[in-house]
Amino acid sequence: MLQLIKVSKAFPQPDGQLTPILAGIDFQLNAGQSAALLGASGSGKSTLLHLIAGLDTPDSGEIVVRDQSIMTLSEAKLAELRRHTISLVFQQFYLISTLKVVDNIRFQAQLSQRYDPAWEKQLVDRLGLGDQLQKYPHQLSGGQQQRVAIARALLHKPALVLADEPTGNLDEHSSEQVMALLSELVKQAGSALLMVTHSRQMASYLDQAYWLKAGSLHSEVIDT
Amino acid sequence: MKGLGLSLKALLSHYWCYPWQALFLIAGLCAGVALWSAVQIINGHARASYEQGNQVLGAQAYYWIRAKDETGVSTADYAQLRRQGFREVYPVVQGVLLSAKQQAIPIIATDPIALPVQAIQTNTSATEFNGLAFMQAPYQAWFPPSLARELGVQVNERLLLKDGQTMPPALLQTQTQQGRQVLLDIAPALSLLKRDKLSYLAVTQLSEPEKTRLQQSLPAHLSLVENRQSVDLSQLTQSLHTQLSAMSLLSFAVGLFIVFNAVRFSLWYRRPTLRTLRLMGVSVSTLSLAIAVETLVWSLVGSGLGLALGYLLSQSLLPTVSSSLQSLYGANLGSDIIFQTRTLLWAWLLTLGGLILALALPLWQQLRLPVLPSNTLSTHWRSDQRTRKRLLIAASVLALLAIFIYPLIHQLIQGFILLGMVLLAAAWALPALLASSLKLLEYLLPPDSFKARWLIRDGWAQLPALRTAMMALLLALTANLGVEMLVGSFRTALSTWLEQRIAADFYVQGSSQFKLQTLLDDPNTADWLAAVNERTQISLRWQEHPLLLRGVNPSAPDSQTISFTQALPDALKTWQAADSQQQWVLANEQLHYLAGVKLGDSLALETPQGPVAFQVIGFVHDYGNPYYQLFLPNSLLKRYWPHAEPWNTSLWLKDQRFAAQAEQALLKAGAKAGDWVEQKTIKSLSLSIFDRTFAMTAAMNSLTLWVASIALLAALMAILQERLPEFAQWRALGVNRLEQWLVMSTPLFIWAGITWLAALPLGALLSWILIHKLNVMAFGWSMPLLWSMTPAWHLALLTLGVILFTLVLVAWQLRRKLPQALAQLGAQA
Repeated sequence: MLQLIKVSKAFPQPDGQLTPILAGIDFQLNAGQSAALLGASGSGKSTLLHLIAGLDTPDSGEIVVRDQSIMTLSEAKLAELRRHTISLVFQQFYLISTLKVVDNIRFQAQLSQRYDPAWEKQLVDRLGLGDQLQKYPHQLSGGQQQRVAIARALLHKPALVLADEPTGNLDEHSSEQVMALLSELVKQAGSALLMVTHSRQMASYLDQAYWLKAGSLHSEVIDT
Repeated sequence: MKGLGLSLKALLSHYWCYPWQALFLIAGLCAGVALWSAVQIINGHARASYEQGNQVLGAQAYYWIRAKDETGVSTADYAQLRRQGFREVYPVVQGVLLSAKQQAIPIIATDPIALPVQAIQTNTSATEFNGLAFMQAPYQAWFPPSLARELGVQVNERLLLKDGQTMPPALLQTQTQQGRQVLLDIAPALSLLKRDKLSYLAVTQLSEPEKTRLQQSLPAHLSLVENRQSVDLSQLTQSLHTQLSAMSLLSFAVGLFIVFNAVRFSLWYRRPTLRTLRLMGVSVSTLSLAIAVETLVWSLVGSGLGLALGYLLSQSLLPTVSSSLQSLYGANLGSDIIFQTRTLLWAWLLTLGGLILALALPLWQQLRLPVLPSNTLSTHWRSDQRTRKRLLIAASVLALLAIFIYPLIHQLIQGFILLGMVLLAAAWALPALLASSLKLLEYLLPPDSFKARWLIRDGWAQLPALRTAMMALLLALTANLGVEMLVGSFRTALSTWLEQRIAADFYVQGSSQFKLQTLLDDPNTADWLAAVNERTQISLRWQEHPLLLRGVNPSAPDSQTISFTQALPDALKTWQAADSQQQWVLANEQLHYLAGVKLGDSLALETPQGPVAFQVIGFVHDYGNPYYQLFLPNSLLKRYWPHAEPWNTSLWLKDQRFAAQAEQALLKAGAKAGDWVEQKTIKSLSLSIFDRTFAMTAAMNSLTLWVASIALLAALMAILQERLPEFAQWRALGVNRLEQWLVMSTPLFIWAGITWLAALPLGALLSWILIHKLNVMAFGWSMPLLWSMTPAWHLALLTLGVILFTLVLVAWQLRRKLPQALAQLGAQA
């Protein structure tokens, strides 16, 4: 499903020096699998996620999504990839503030022409959004907004869900609820999930965990 | 297509939630398009009217039959031609009456039976044309509604004239090509004007044999001349229309600044939406297409509303323009707007072009950013610094280019391009100037003061949002100051010139029955008459333009004080001597500036004896005259044109207390009441024509300033919305209302002050270019530039008022929205 081959990325510092963030990362995630990416602040977790989503380009190495290298894809092709194959869930939700909840949920599914009303109803019910559909995002709490973002990400059943600290803005109770739902619904949708987090607790909801340290990826065993 | 539709839905939903942004966008577009299209509608209407200039009252007049000595055509001659079967000939009487309130009333009269049209059309009345009522006592006077309003005439009112006569009962309706004139039957018109002759006979199209037959049938004292009125009018008024167009384009440019700002803000606010759309797989090209569709929608809405507004505006400005065109050029504009599809199309294309121009840069900046940009304040500042630097470089290049092309400019349109370059260069350089004010503040304020540092940092944060609004304000202030100074200088120059030119106490019309010799033969005349100047005139064509030759008495008082703009040595004495060997003439400066005639040049003029060369010895001011004009001693004029018609006779009194005695003497010498005007009446009439001519400029100027005010308001509202969460944080940190307003508004006042200061030299430069380059090229009038601070202070007060008003509005919005922002702050905490 997803394969990273010797992916490297460095960022320039104010003094002009290049600081390596990712140094030859190799990684693989199969269809239907879920993995957590742990690491300290500034370790490059989000950068790695952005590279996979085609939002940034690595300095070297190769990223393969569904047997297709994304390195040579044009901006338009990358957009198409995100539209059909990859869904993103962010800590900041990134909802369209001027559209109602219902329109936000359906947006990507309609865009990729994979809108399934039955699956939508299931998602809305499971995420407890039935009463919120006609509201605007700013009328919801943080936890509710993140549920909307999850519903939007899963409605078109993408092959890969990339989540960047999806519970980072939520309290402990909400975080657990959201995480349980996310892992369950991703499985139900048949998608693969790669989630960046700095919480071992949240990572425990997923199949595997990896620790990103000094630019390298290490397998991590999580006690639940 | 699905992606496009969804993207559009998401993008346009923004305006649903923030309707005031849509309002500002529409306001900017409307204001710009309205002013531009109003002027275009008027210009188009005027041109269409000129094209109809060959028509007289709806009938096409290809020729005129005029008396060779310009004394009019007798009714007997007219009747004779009709009897000979010339049905193409119809009579016209034109003249100006003076009301009891000293208002000039232009009239036109014809014989409705002879008029070769299918039927008299009354385009403002539902009633059928009643021929008998029109042609029989008490007759009818058809007033165009706008002229009736101007004169305060009511339906059926019989307007009292200065000489005690009354006009026929007024009807508010117009006939084609009547323009700003009252239409009458021939009989009452001749009686009111106290004439016995028709002004001229108009002739519709003739075949060559008919033309020859008509020419052969004409008595010796009449001639058939080609009607070139429409060509002459188009040529003469071209400069005025170009100037009006340039003014309207300026306000369109200011409108574009608002649109640019509104678009920039609307894209800036929609960054999250754009980012989310891109995250969800919408490509840049789809987004660009969606925004292009949005642009198209806005341009349709903006141009539609702007045109509707422009149409209303043109209706209200038309009477002013009509009366100016009639006073200056004798052009008659119909009172109902002739609306042209071309104008509509141009307005829309201009809106679309402007919108694309305003949209291109912010869109390009927005879409070339990475999907998830590192949106820190420092990167934002750095990018703003880069923009300021680029604008300053562009401004310097433009300014250098303007200096380089200045000497190469010879056409009006090039002059306006130069003006545009100067204004744009100034506007582009302004952000750098505003930024340096912050740097100066940083240097001047105590570095250890937290509040000072806060104020300066906040100023830097406000600068990107306010700089475009300040640029629009600078353009509006500069244009206002420049034009105010031009108008002020012109008014002073005109008053001074009128003092010298209109020096006599009484002016008796040349067309009256007044006989100067009778007056001079009266032994009592010597008691009150100090001097007299009997003037004659003849009108010719020279180089395809009308040329007026004016014969004056070189020993009259006003011929002793002629001031030259350029002259050969001893010009006045040489000219007064009227040398029979060298025919010296004085020329108006229009001949120098517009026709390129130089001192000492010879002009070959057609005389009844064949071409004769006249040499220019000096140039004189001749404000307000669209024609080329030569002044020569009466003796010289009569030598070559014995049939020169009387122009007027000016009389100087020994003392003002003899005024009544002089009027009695004039009556005894054959003049009738209304045949003469006093000096003060002519002066006030001239100044009122001047004021009317510039009334439209003044209206457009103040509208331009309002357009800039909208830009300022839009910018402040945008800052408010963008920074509302930040203001909530300030409150949460204990910042009180006064401190918040001090920090928010201090940079605004400083920048408005700097913008005003920058507008002073720029306004002076603009008026200098207008006076020394454009005015000379457009009208051929030169004048000194007179600097006055009064308009500058007025503008300062107005700007202050606008800023205070916008701040009050912003304060009201803040008061309304802050509690919600504070609540959200709590929810996030």
